[in-house]
Amino acid sequence: MFDLDVRSRKPIYEQLVEKLKELIMNDVLKVDDQLPSVRTLAQQLTINPNTIQKAYRELETQGYIYSLKGKGSFVNATVKSVNIEKLEKVKKELVRLLTEAMYLGVSSQELERLIADIESSLGGGRSND
Amino acid sequence: MIKVVNMEKSYENQLVLKGVNFTVQKGSIYGLLGSNGAGKTTLLKTVSGILTQDKGHVFIDDSPLFEQVQIKDRVVFIPDTLYFFPQYTIRQTAQFYKNIYSCWDESRFLKLNEVFEIDIDKKIHKFSKGMQRQVAFWLAMSAMPKILVLDEPLDGLDPVMRKKVKNLIVQDVAEREMTVLISSHNLREVEDICDHIGILHKGTIILEKELDDLKSDVHKVQVAFKKDVPSNLFEDLNVLYKEERGSVLLCIVRGNNTDIMSHFKTFEPDIFDMLPLTLEEIFIYEMGDAGYAIKNILV
Repeated sequence: MFDLDVRSRKPIYEQLVEKLKELIMNDVLKVDDQLPSVRTLAQQLTINPNTIQKAYRELETQGYIYSLKGKGSFVNATVKSVNIEKLEKVKKELVRLLTEAMYLGVSSQELERLIADIESSLGGGRSND
Repeated sequence: MIKVVNMEKSYENQLVLKGVNFTVQKGSIYGLLGSNGAGKTTLLKTVSGILTQDKGHVFIDDSPLFEQVQIKDRVVFIPDTLYFFPQYTIRQTAQFYKNIYSCWDESRFLKLNEVFEIDIDKKIHKFSKGMQRQVAFWLAMSAMPKILVLDEPLDGLDPVMRKKVKNLIVQDVAEREMTVLISSHNLREVEDICDHIGILHKGTIILEKELDDLKSDVHKVQVAFKKDVPSNLFEDLNVLYKEERGSVLLCIVRGNNTDIMSHFKTFEPDIFDMLPLTLEEIFIYEMGDAGYAIKNILV
């Protein structure tokens, strides 16, 4: 389903949480879809089942998934909080890129122009609030 | 579950283990790391009931193990130097194992032949080192152990075989909550499958933690300032190690990810980079704390 970088500095369980969130946010895993069982995932990725259990628990406390006893884990309907988190991420990324652009000498007028261009290419029908 | 309490062991008059305490939970994979000569092999041999401890206790599921046949029946140990009966073929050795281990699973043994692809009627001592290790795993996994103790298990196996072997271990842990104790000094080998790590140094466990906590708890920070380094930069920080490399400051900091980040950001560094540590780095810095530092000796 996906691959992890076991040599990465990031803890494996964090990587797992992020990967699964990504799949949920991008609707690859839809609401009420069943997540692969701990056993299958451990076998597929050759990682410790306890790590997967931990990642699932984390996702459950964050509200991304719910689990049914004896049946497994399923994707929760949490579109709103998911979007907020995604928005936060995008904003952070934007700040980083804009800072870099300004360092490189892009003026704020130029940036505004860029934004206007993007807006019109998106259809421009949206109100500017 | 494996539980070791205040265990001491000496050979003749050399004290090798000085009061070791640790617990491996059921269904957990515990990585035992340590410097050369720290006592890893001695510890594993005591845990698997080959040696007896001088002081303290070793429990497997709350009962002592030494010379207890019904407990040892569920414990399999793969030593770093393998031993097989001379002139025995794999089939004959399997027969021997079958007589020893009551839970031996013959169908599994035959099925695992697909994984290992070794001629079952060949004599084991004619195989190469790596292939003998495969045979050891093959036999161990067929004995359906509750406790699997491995001393430098992946030594001499090629990458494909390593992956296969790890996969088999992980499956058994997931399926029937097998408890695994692995010793290694090749940290990259164990990083992906262990959930707990213990570091043994000079006969004592100097650090024991969940691997994920260990990784998210310690960070490597690189900062550089165009101006002078602020004098209070390291105030309120738990700094394990600090080094200046030209104008770049490299430090190892313990603490919460976001806290550290916001702390450094207040000083507005021109370059700021923060990474979690690899297990290898954790090992090196922790050992440095224990007086086992890398000394860059020029020769």
